[in-house]
Amino acid sequence: MDLAIRSVVLYAFVLVLTRVVGRRELSALQPFDLILLIVLGDSIQQGLTQDDYSVTGAAIVVGTIAVLQVATSYMSFRVPSLRPVLDGQPIVVVEDGKPIEKNLHRERLSFEDLMEEARLQQIASLDEVQWAVLETSGAISFIKKSDS
Amino acid sequence: MATPEAIDLSRDRDMRGRGKGLWVRRALLTLVALVPLLALFNVFGQRPTTAKATVPAATLSVYAPTKLRGGLLWEARFHITAHQDLKNALLRLGTGWAEGMSMNTIEPSPTGEASHDGQLDFTLGHIPKNHSFILFMQFQVNPTNVGHRSRSTTLFDGGREVAAVHQKVTVFP
Repeated sequence: MDLAIRSVVLYAFVLVLTRVVGRRELSALQPFDLILLIVLGDSIQQGLTQDDYSVTGAAIVVGTIAVLQVATSYMSFRVPSLRPVLDGQPIVVVEDGKPIEKNLHRERLSFEDLMEEARLQQIASLDEVQWAVLETSGAISFIKKSDS
Repeated sequence: MATPEAIDLSRDRDMRGRGKGLWVRRALLTLVALVPLLALFNVFGQRPTTAKATVPAATLSVYAPTKLRGGLLWEARFHITAHQDLKNALLRLGTGWAEGMSMNTIEPSPTGEASHDGQLDFTLGHIPKNHSFILFMQFQVNPTNVGHRSRSTTLFDGGREVAAVHQKVTVFP
């Protein structure tokens, strides 16, 4: 029973953690953003199963987390008012080629981070960009101007 | 150029109505940061503390953590200093010491072990006046052993109670 309880507690903790640390950590923009993602899985696993190496234990943990995962996505799908809490909302970070400093600052994104993401999408200058949106996943979508 | 579909400029660019969310996020992040901060202050263990009982006949000192976490290895040190000759010292540990714990080692081995109404009796033998006896015990917390329990340590000389130390132990999941 304690394995199922551990799974529920740690699932809730990781869910809250991923929502509060911000999107840049999820998207791993810089090398140090990777640290959390690397240590998270290992640390959680030890607290979750501890000395239980049994197949039954693994089945309990994986089953519990799968049910929680489906329940969370179902809630997000069925209850629109929960979506901002569970998934977050997109943030416009560039409009008509101009970065929106206030929104970048809110998500601890520098202009250099933004340009790095732009270059990854073959965009050399923000002048080519009509909209850039920081998505809930942490990725940045760039929508080019129609004439570029 | 038109705004991308499902993007609400008031909400997603001007952040109207999203100021509260930022503060909720900061508050939750503070709570997350509070956990390691509390850990530094030994709220979740397992820094050992000393509990002592001094009587004319002897001093009984128990050096062990009172806050533990599932799966951790830990040590208890029982230090008996005889102010008078203890002819037949016996250490009685309450059930809280053994409940949900793996007992890995007892050094030095007591001359005798017994049960007294479920409590553990360790016969240590003769401790001459002004001498010390130190008993080390190594434990491991059973991961399912979560909660509070009381832990008593009593020193006897023959059938006579000499000193006692009572503690509360908390095991975090």
